[in-house]
Amino acid sequence: MLDEREVPTAIQEIFEKSRGELDRRVGTLEEAVSALLGEGLGEDLRASAERDAHKLAGSLGMFGLPRGSELARSLEQALDQPGGPAPGEAPRLAESVLALRGQLDAQVQRPEPGSEATNPASSSPRAQDGRALLLVSPDPQLSERLSVEALRRNLRPRRAPTCAAARQLAATEAPDAAVLDVSFDDSVNNDEESLELLAELTRLEPPVPVLVLTGSEALVDRVEVARRGGRGFVARTRSADQVIDAVSEQLERSKATQAKVLAVDDDPVASAALAILLGSSGLAVTTLNDPLRFWEVLENQAPDLVVLDLDMPNVDGVDLCRAVRADVRFGQLPVVFLTANTDPDCVTQIFEAGADDYVSKPIVAPELMTRILNRLDRVRLFRDLADKDSLTGVLSRRRSAAAIEDLLAMADRFGQPVSLAQIDLDHFKRMNDELGHATGDDALRRFGELLTETFRGEDVVGRWGGEEFVVASYGMPRDDGVQRVAEMLEKFREVRFTGREGSGMRLTFSAGVAEYPRDGADLHELYRAADDALYRAKTAGRNRVLPADLEAGAETGGLDVMVVEDDETLAGVLIDSLQTRGYRTHWLDDGQEAVAALSGSNPEFSPSLILLDIDLPSLNGLAVLRRLAADDALDRSRVLMLTARAGEAEVVEALELGAFDHIAKPFSVPVLMHRIRRALKR
Amino acid sequence: MSKRILLIDDENDIREVAGISLESVGGWQVSSANSGHLGIEIALAEQPDAILLDVMMPDMDGPTTFARLQDDPGTREIPVILLTAKAQGADRKRFAELGVAGVLTKPFDPMALPGQVAAILAAHDR
Repeated sequence: MLDEREVPTAIQEIFEKSRGELDRRVGTLEEAVSALLGEGLGEDLRASAERDAHKLAGSLGMFGLPRGSELARSLEQALDQPGGPAPGEAPRLAESVLALRGQLDAQVQRPEPGSEATNPASSSPRAQDGRALLLVSPDPQLSERLSVEALRRNLRPRRAPTCAAARQLAATEAPDAAVLDVSFDDSVNNDEESLELLAELTRLEPPVPVLVLTGSEALVDRVEVARRGGRGFVARTRSADQVIDAVSEQLERSKATQAKVLAVDDDPVASAALAILLGSSGLAVTTLNDPLRFWEVLENQAPDLVVLDLDMPNVDGVDLCRAVRADVRFGQLPVVFLTANTDPDCVTQIFEAGADDYVSKPIVAPELMTRILNRLDRVRLFRDLADKDSLTGVLSRRRSAAAIEDLLAMADRFGQPVSLAQIDLDHFKRMNDELGHATGDDALRRFGELLTETFRGEDVVGRWGGEEFVVASYGMPRDDGVQRVAEMLEKFREVRFTGREGSGMRLTFSAGVAEYPRDGADLHELYRAADDALYRAKTAGRNRVLPADLEAGAETGGLDVMVVEDDETLAGVLIDSLQTRGYRTHWLDDGQEAVAALSGSNPEFSPSLILLDIDLPSLNGLAVLRRLAADDALDRSRVLMLTARAGEAEVVEALELGAFDHIAKPFSVPVLMHRIRRALKR
Repeated sequence: MSKRILLIDDENDIREVAGISLESVGGWQVSSANSGHLGIEIALAEQPDAILLDVMMPDMDGPTTFARLQDDPGTREIPVILLTAKAQGADRKRFAELGVAGVLTKPFDPMALPGQVAAILAAHDR
């Protein structure tokens, strides 16, 4: 329980916490009044506005804003009338809403010195809460529906019935996103103007994500919209809810690509000014007034750029910069200094400490912005170049190794496995020689695409050498890893690469898969284990995926599986799939022969697993199984029966005779492989 | 032991402010619910000494919630104070006729609210 004297402070805190919601409510009222001033207030919006006015009336007084409550109450009463307020009342209501907004804004608190505040650039609550959504549509019902939905999601809708009105709105406040209703209807001649508006909005800095709402499905229209920078198409038949969903998604996306800037200045006023300046260009700014927390914030925020004030009384910015440079993690982080002193000695000192650039004070806004944006562009370019392999589109060795280290650290924390596959294209040099380097490059590109398609977004895929790739998958045991790479191999070898003279060839790859931490305690050891398995796959005949499992017959190049099946096509598929997954295979097509080869005191074969077809010439599967059981051969090998029909009696008999499991034909290869792995588990 | 009061209001900020005020200024032990349904359940389980009930709530409004509380012998005896943002004379009279212990208007002054609640309950006990 609080002391009674602490109650006002606690209430102030609740107010701060609630102000987003309070702002949203005032936003609804603003929207309603602007509708009333314009094309008229629809019923949905009137009802929302009345509800929000009611809530404001009931709560503002509690926060020490009795005047706010009175204003809200008068608005509630005006909105309560059937059919809404008369248009003649609009100016008076607009004044009330304005006064209400003033009440709320007057309560804004300045951030306390020494505190870290994200984006006080937008410390005006209007900008902070609820991003502006420009709705451009000649259809009042449609924009009303969208407005109501937008308000519900804490967006601030700005409605424009015409392109001209939209331009005007965008000029007073740049929207965070826009929905543009384009008819693409020949009878209405506004398409060209709409497309022009689309291009203008996407040219703004930062560019406004625009969704085009249309009834047209024509491809040519879609192409035109994409060419002008539109982010997406939404059918007019979609519900308002779905349209606003799409808008939110765009907003999230643009936030993710927003560059982060950390500005350090121990003067809160200066840093707030800096934040406003940078924030207005679409950067995500964190200001730090307490340089003692620099490292903590730096590590947490991982900014894309740091702005340091040289003239901080208590801390030496130059020292801070030197320390940043000394840390390998931040060696590449751009640092821009602000300084009032630009004499050559001072500038030399700044650059010697490792700064990338400086801007002289007093700050000239455009100069600061240009320098910072240039710096960020260059960093992004370099980072993309260094991170991604330009040919295959997968990560570079350096970047993927770092990402895999992250996965291993996460695996330690949560006790999960990570599977690491090392993949190497077979006879790649021969392809280059025979079909030319262009075809070789094409093959690598296709392989990169296939890797990216096959593996999940959170898997790390990297190119570690000429034709050598690694894939790390978090939470995936080795066996599953083998399975997935094997499935990819089955797809890849179907692709036919064609050279200059029209001659073609197919490619295969070999792979080794190791599991962390079972097969290696760090990335280096894990890679070695996968590499050993890859080597075994190559020597066993390439075109296969082997697990780094030293117990499971590693010396022999894999576990032995005997396929007893008289259908040659099926046997071929089975042997192929088994070899792809690193098993050593043998094939017999006759019951008598199988008994002869698998039983006796010194059998010719003693495989780990026998896939035994139930219908065989000379001696059927059940009879073979009976003979093997009598001969104790089932102690050496497990038997998986392949049954052609769902003959329950046969299945029961097979299991009673000692078969480990059965699978009914037709079966899918992945299901069979799963059963095989289960049968081979000790 | 301090007395228990149950707050039923769909708005977070009002529940929080009233909660702090009743707890810290009034010395109540406060429970809260964001809907009439939940409020009835809590009232049954905790048997508070008083209930502060918002009139305008989505789903089930204050008067309906009050009627349900009255119908249930397990909650019938608990005094209920309605909290309303509409304090026009007619409404006030209608609410009083429902049989509630009292009606308070929103917005309330957080420092004065506990005193008002106490006064209503004292009059109700007499």
